[in-house]
Amino acid sequence: MSQTSIDTAAAGAIDAVKIYGEDDTEVRALDGVTVSFERGRFTAIMGPSGSGKSTLMHCLAGLDTLTSGRVFIADTYLDTLSESQLTEMRRDQIGFVFQAFNLIPTLSALENITLPMDLAGRKPDQDWLDQVVDILGLRPRLTHRPSELSGGQQQRVAVARALATQPQIVFADEPTGNLDSRSGTDLLEFMRHAVDDLGQTIVMVTHDPTAAAHADRVVFLADGQIRDEMIEPTAERVLDLMKQLGD
Amino acid sequence: MFRVALKDILARKRRLVTTGLAILLGIAFLTGTQMLSQTLKGSISAVFDDAYAGYDAVVRSPKEQDLGFGQRVHVPLPASTVDEVRSVAGVAAASGIVESANAKLIGADGKVASSSFGPPTIIYNWQEERLLRTGKVTEGREPKADNEMVLDFGSAAKAGYRVGDKVKITANSGTQTFKLVGLVGLGTDGKTPTGATTLIFPTAVAQELADLTGKFNYIAVAGDEGLSQEALASAIAGARPELQVLTGAEFAKENADSVGQVIDILATFVTVFGYIALFVAAFIIYNTFSILVAQRTRETALLRAVGAHRRQIVLANLIEAAFVGFVASILGLLVGTGLASVLRRGVSAIFSMSTSQTLPGVNNITTALGVGVGVTVISSFVPSYKASRVPPIAALSEATLDRGIVSFKRIVVGSGVLLVGAALAVAGFAELGPNPLLIFGAGAALVLIAVSLVLAPIIVGPAIRFLGLFSPWRRSVVSRLSRANAIRNPRRTASTAAALTIGVTLVTLIAIIASSIKASVSDAATEAIKADFIVSVDTFSLGSGIPPETVKEIQALDSVAVASPMRFGPVRITDAYARKHAASSSSDDTGQLGVGATSDAPPGEDTLISGIDPKTAFESVNFGKISGNPADFVDGTLAVSKVFAEERGWKLGDEIPLYFAQTGEQKLRVAFFYTNFIGSASFHIPIETFNKNMLKMFDVDYLLTVQAKDGVPLAQVRKELDSAVKDLPTVTVQDLGEYVKSQTAPFDTFLAIVYALLMLAVIIALIGIANTLSLSILERTRELGLLRAVGMSKRQLRRSVFAESVLISVFGTAIGLVLGLVFSAAISTVIAADNPDIFQYTVPVPTLVVVVIGAMFAGVLAAVVPAWRTAKMQVLEAVSAL
Repeated sequence: MSQTSIDTAAAGAIDAVKIYGEDDTEVRALDGVTVSFERGRFTAIMGPSGSGKSTLMHCLAGLDTLTSGRVFIADTYLDTLSESQLTEMRRDQIGFVFQAFNLIPTLSALENITLPMDLAGRKPDQDWLDQVVDILGLRPRLTHRPSELSGGQQQRVAVARALATQPQIVFADEPTGNLDSRSGTDLLEFMRHAVDDLGQTIVMVTHDPTAAAHADRVVFLADGQIRDEMIEPTAERVLDLMKQLGD
Repeated sequence: MFRVALKDILARKRRLVTTGLAILLGIAFLTGTQMLSQTLKGSISAVFDDAYAGYDAVVRSPKEQDLGFGQRVHVPLPASTVDEVRSVAGVAAASGIVESANAKLIGADGKVASSSFGPPTIIYNWQEERLLRTGKVTEGREPKADNEMVLDFGSAAKAGYRVGDKVKITANSGTQTFKLVGLVGLGTDGKTPTGATTLIFPTAVAQELADLTGKFNYIAVAGDEGLSQEALASAIAGARPELQVLTGAEFAKENADSVGQVIDILATFVTVFGYIALFVAAFIIYNTFSILVAQRTRETALLRAVGAHRRQIVLANLIEAAFVGFVASILGLLVGTGLASVLRRGVSAIFSMSTSQTLPGVNNITTALGVGVGVTVISSFVPSYKASRVPPIAALSEATLDRGIVSFKRIVVGSGVLLVGAALAVAGFAELGPNPLLIFGAGAALVLIAVSLVLAPIIVGPAIRFLGLFSPWRRSVVSRLSRANAIRNPRRTASTAAALTIGVTLVTLIAIIASSIKASVSDAATEAIKADFIVSVDTFSLGSGIPPETVKEIQALDSVAVASPMRFGPVRITDAYARKHAASSSSDDTGQLGVGATSDAPPGEDTLISGIDPKTAFESVNFGKISGNPADFVDGTLAVSKVFAEERGWKLGDEIPLYFAQTGEQKLRVAFFYTNFIGSASFHIPIETFNKNMLKMFDVDYLLTVQAKDGVPLAQVRKELDSAVKDLPTVTVQDLGEYVKSQTAPFDTFLAIVYALLMLAVIIALIGIANTLSLSILERTRELGLLRAVGMSKRQLRRSVFAESVLISVFGTAIGLVLGLVFSAAISTVIAADNPDIFQYTVPVPTLVVVVIGAMFAGVLAAVVPAWRTAKMQVLEAVSAL
C-alpha cells in the first residue's frame, strides 16, 4: 500500500471508519481505509455491492461524514470545515458525475455546465470552458435542454460540468452504468482525454472491469477494507482479481 | 381497495394534513357562524320570554309602519283604551306600556353610553300592576317621583352608575337628569341580564320622554286564572274588533323573530365568506390530489397491472378524499364549536345578555359533513378519474411526469365554462331568477375556474418570465431556477395561484366599488349641500333627534343666515309599480299574527323619505337641474330625483299614493324633479306634510344645514353652534368636509370587516401554495440533491424556494387584480346606468399597491415551511436517490 502524502495527493482518506446503526444492527461500511489519489491520474474504485466503495466516495466528497479517521481534498481536512465551507468546497474544488439524473431539466446544457460558477457568482474561464466543451464534443448541443439529449450526451454534459471549475478532483459514481456499451466507451474515452490532455484528476467508482480498464490504477475494496490495487489495468486482469476476491 | 386507500393515506399523512387544514378552516368558520347564530337566537328568544312572562295578551293598533329589518312601529293607543280593555270579561289586569327607543343614556363619563351597534336603549314605564310587572328590582326601589328612574343592572355597571347617582338621559326633548333609585333584572330573582339598556320611569315621565303624552305603545293584559292565552285574546278581539290582539307567547315570538331576522341576515353575510373560503379550499384539494395522482403513477399502474379495475382506482382515490374530508370536517366542527363559544362570550359581554352554551346540533353535524366531505370528494373527482386512465404499462416504463400542458380540449371546454359563467354572472347581476345573489356567485365562480384552469396555464410562462424582469437578482442562477421551476408545470402553478386569485379578485372588486361609491357619495354630498356647518345627531337611529328648542335657538342666532332642518321617516309607496314589486320580492307575512283587526296597509314598497322646509331648503340644498316649478313644492306634494321617478314612470303633476301609519293612504302630487343626489331618502316632502302624516316619533330633526351670515367669521359661528349643543352629547357640529367624512366612515368599518373575513380565504390560499411547493419539492428531491452536491448553498436553495413562492403569489395576485378590475368595471357600468352623473369609477391605487406588496409577503410566508424542509433535506439522502 502506498504511503499517503497530503503534499502530492489530490485527495485521500486516513484510517477512515464509517459505522451505520448501533449494537446488533451495526454495519462497518468502512473499516479502516487509508488511500490517496494522485494528481493528474485516473483512478477506479472497484468492489462488489456492499463493499463500501460508494460510502468511501461520499465521504471523500464531503457528502457524508466519517465515524472516525480523516479525509482530505488537496491540503484541507474536511472535518475542519463548516457546512457552508463544505458547500463551497464541493462547488469550487470537487466535480461530480452521477450514474443518472445529473442535469437540471430546466437549464440548457451550457447552463448546466456553468452551474457551479453561476452559483458562486463567478465568470467561467472561457478558454478552459472552450477546451472542455470541445474535448467532450458538446459544441453543437450547448443550447439544448437535457430532455433533448441522448443518455451519452447527458453524461458528457455532466462530465463537462464537473471539469468546468478546474477542480482538484472529479468523483464519478458509475458514470456509464446507465449507458449502452458504445456510449459508455465513448464517455470513458472522453474522461481519459480530460486526464491526459487537461491534466485533471478523476476518481471513478465502478463494478465494470471494462470501465476500470480505462483507469491508470484500480483500487479494490471488500467488506470496508482495501484488498488490493493494480496499476495499468486491463479488463482481463481486473476480472481475474475480482474473481479471486470474490472467493 | 378500501385497504389500499387507507394505506395510502397513512403513507402520505403529512401531505394530506395541509389539504385537511384548508377544509377544517372553512368548516370551522361555517359551523361556528351557524352555531353562534342559533345560540344567539335561542338566547334572545329566552330574553323576550322572560321579559313578557307576565303577559297573557297584548293589544295594539293594527296600523303600523315598517322600519326595515323586520322592525315595525305601531300607532300608539290613547290611555282610555286601557280602561276599555280592562273592562272586557276574562281580563284580570291591563296596563298601558311605553316601549320606546328614542332616548340615550349618558354615562358617568359624560359620553353616550348607548352605541348604535350595541344593544338598543329602551324607555319603559314602571308597572304599578303586579301581574304585569317584568323582572325584579334587585337593589333600591321603584321610581315614584318625576325625577326618579330605574336602570337594568348591566347597563348601570357599564355606564358607571350606582343607586343614588344622578343619571343623564337625552331624548328628543333635550337632556334631563334623574336620580337612580333602583336596579332591575329579568327573571323571578332579577338576576338575568336584560340584553338591552332599559330605562324605567314613572308612567307620565316615560310618556313625555317618548313623545307619547297620554298614550301607550301597546296594552299588556293578564287573564283570569284558568283562562288560556288564546281564549283571552279572542275575548278581547271580540269586544274590540278594531284592535289587534296577540297572545303573550305570540308577542314574545314576534319580538324574538324580528331580532332573529337581523341575526340571520348577519349570519348569511358572514357565511358567504365561509363558502368563499371553501371554494378556495376546493382548488387546493384539486391541486393536491392532482399532484398525488401524478406522483404515484407507477404505483397506480402496478395496481392496474395486477388486475385492479379502473373503477376501483377511481374508488380508491375517492375513498381517500372522503376520508380526509371526513376527518377534517369533524375537526372543523370541533374548532367551530370552540370559535362559537368564544364569540358567544364576547356577544354576552357586549349585550349584557346571558347566552347558553354552544353545542353542535344535528344540523351543524350535517352541514359540516355534507359540505366538508362533499367539497373534498367533488374536488378530487377529476384527479381520481385521471388516475384511472394510467395504463398498466406505465408501471414498467420510466414514469413520465405530467408536463401540465394545456390541451385543445381543455381550451374548448374552458371557453364554454367561461361563457356560461359570464352569462350567469350577468343574469345574477341583472336580478333575474329566484336567487340573484346565488346565480351571480355561481357565475363568478365559473369564470374564476375557467380563467384559472385554462387561461392562466397558457399565460403563466410568459407572465412569470415578465415578472422575473422586475427581480433585482434576475440574472442570478438562483432566480433563473426559481422562474424555471415556477413555469415547469403551468397547470399546477396556475391552479395554485388561483387559490390566491380568488381572494385578490374579491378584495380588488370590493375596494374599487367601495371607493367608487365613497367618492361618488362624498362628491354628491359636497355638491348637493350648501352649508357652512351641519348640526346633526351622531348616532343615526330613527326616533332620536335634535331637541326642538335647540333648533329654534340655532335658527335665532344672529350669526346664522339660514338653518334648514331635515327629518326622516318611513313610508310605503303603494302605486302599481310598487305593488308589483312587493308581490314579487317580499315574503312579508304582515298581519298573520294575532286576532282582531289586521293592518289596513296596502301592499307596497317601504322606503325612507325626508321632510324639508320649502322656505329654506332651496338655499341650503343644491338640487341640480330642476324640471318643474320649485314654487309648486307646497303642502301635499313631493320632490323626487329624476332617475327614481323615471324608473317608476312618475310624471310631473302625478298623484302618488303613499301609505302612512298615522293617516293611512295619502296622495301626494309630484312637484318637481331634480338631478343631484341628496341623502339617503328616496324623495322629499315639505315638513308640513311630513308632520301631518308621520307618527309623532319621527317628528324630529336629524340635521340642520347652517349657513353663516355674510361677514361673520366662521370660527365665531362654530363657537356659537358648539355652545348651543354643549349639553347634548348626541348632537355634533361639523363643517361640510367633516360631515361628509363622518357619513362615509361606517363604510370604512364595513370594508375593514369584509377584508378581515376575506383573510380566511387568503390564509387558506397560502396553505395551498405551501402545500404545492412542498409536494413539488418532494418531486424534485433528486434535482435538489444534485444542486447541493455541485455546490448550491442552503441559503441559495432556500432563496430559490422563496422566489418561486413569491412568483406564484404575485402571478395569482396579478390575475386577481385584472379580474377584479374587469368585474368592477362591469358592475360599475350597471350602477352608473342607474345613477348617471353621480357614479364615478374610482380605482384606489394605494390599496391595490398594498395588495400586491401583501401578496409578495404572503408568498414569502407560504414558503417558510417548504424552504425550511428543503434546506433540512440531507444532501446524501437526496444524492442517494440519484
